[in-house]
Amino acid sequence: MVQSLKLTMNKILLGVIDDFAEEQAKGFDLNHSGSDTFFIVRSKNKLFAYKDSCPHYGDTTLPWKRHHYLNNVAEYIVCAAHGALFQIENGKCIQGPCLGQKLTKVPIEISEQNEIWIDQTIIKEFNL
Amino acid sequence: MNIIGPDKLIWGVEDLAAAKQFAVDYGLTPQNEHYYSALDGTGIEIRAKDDKSLPAGLTTGSMLRKTVYGVKDQATLDAIKAEFTDREVKVLADGSLELVDDMGFVLGFQITIRTTNTEKAERVNAPGDVNREINQPGVTKTDVPRVQSLSHVVYFVPDSVIAEAFFANRLGFVTTDRFTGVGPFMRPAATQDHHTIFFIQAPAFMQGCEHFTFHMAGPTDVVQAGTNMVNKGYQSFWGPGRHLFGSNWFWYFKSPFGCNMEYDADMDQHDESWQGREAMIGPDNSQAFLLQYREKWAPGPGGPKP
Ligand code: FES
Ligand SMILES: [Fe+2]
Repeated sequence: MVQSLKLTMNKILLGVIDDFAEEQAKGFDLNHSGSDTFFIVRSKNKLFAYKDSCPHYGDTTLPWKRHHYLNNVAEYIVCAAHGALFQIENGKCIQGPCLGQKLTKVPIEISEQNEIWIDQTIIKEFNL
Repeated sequence: MNIIGPDKLIWGVEDLAAAKQFAVDYGLTPQNEHYYSALDGTGIEIRAKDDKSLPAGLTTGSMLRKTVYGVKDQATLDAIKAEFTDREVKVLADGSLELVDDMGFVLGFQITIRTTNTEKAERVNAPGDVNREINQPGVTKTDVPRVQSLSHVVYFVPDSVIAEAFFANRLGFVTTDRFTGVGPFMRPAATQDHHTIFFIQAPAFMQGCEHFTFHMAGPTDVVQAGTNMVNKGYQSFWGPGRHLFGSNWFWYFKSPFGCNMEYDADMDQHDESWQGREAMIGPDNSQAFLLQYREKWAPGPGGPKP
């Protein structure tokens, strides 16, 4: 009991899986900085989370509009600054300026109730 | 050669609806199903990437399919045709020319479509130097910034030396300034704008468009138009700020064109007497200052407070 309470205090609830339609992405700005710091993609019934930071320069965000992380056919993650394409499953850039480089994967946890959680230490460590 | 500057950029995009909406929100006016223009008639043609009318694209995935330059007259078109005996020069149905440059970019040349249909530059008053009409407010809440004219295109190229030589020796462009080891800012002979192209040396797999931009009437319109974009949910890439080379104000936004789309204003004008400068690229040499958007704010909780 005490254990589970502590865990909850160290984690932030990001939502539930059903918040995401299939092949859809969503950005998060937990510190209300005005710019999303990471995003989650739902693809083929799995969730993938990455830092919203393009490896091309390392400190600019990806989408041209909030939550628009995927290309038209939801096949790749896109950086709209110079059109880099990244594989959804592993964040690897397969076309564009950062060819071969990877988006930074952000660890998230899915509970048995299909809730999506992120740990406070991850938020600190990844500067989210 | 009497080349004036870019008249039209032709795009083959992935998300047609998003690109067209973006163009309208940016401030361009749809002239037909494909063509979105600024006040002076210059603009962008937006088509789906598999549109059969488009020239073949680069293998890098760049969505820019063709850059069409406006030239002064038929004599200039004839001179360009005569210059390129070393490659195919197509004469298209509309009389324009099409050829592929030394980097592999498709270029077009046409008698310019640009009109003089632009607005006055932003007028600034200073003590002893009043430029705005008397009783004329400089800015009001209802002002709508209007996009004036296609300004310049920046390309990632695998060899900026070859790219520069092509535009200098074959098309008569002049280098105005240069970032060491990166590339030149160039202007065609029939314009005094500091640059209509800038080349950035990059690996071959990056070849394509880094950004393109339209001139606004002044810095106020750059910042106002950019603020409108932010309020519509679009995401800034860089700016607002003011560049050093060219002195142009800038604000870049990521776009569905696979590159940044910029607003610029108040670019330096040059003639033959200008001595080009050279500098190392970097934050300190790229801009005089850089600002960042913040939501509208005022001291006091929305009411008078001393
Ligand atoms: S900043 Fe992402 S591709 Fe250039
Ligand atoms: Fe620019």
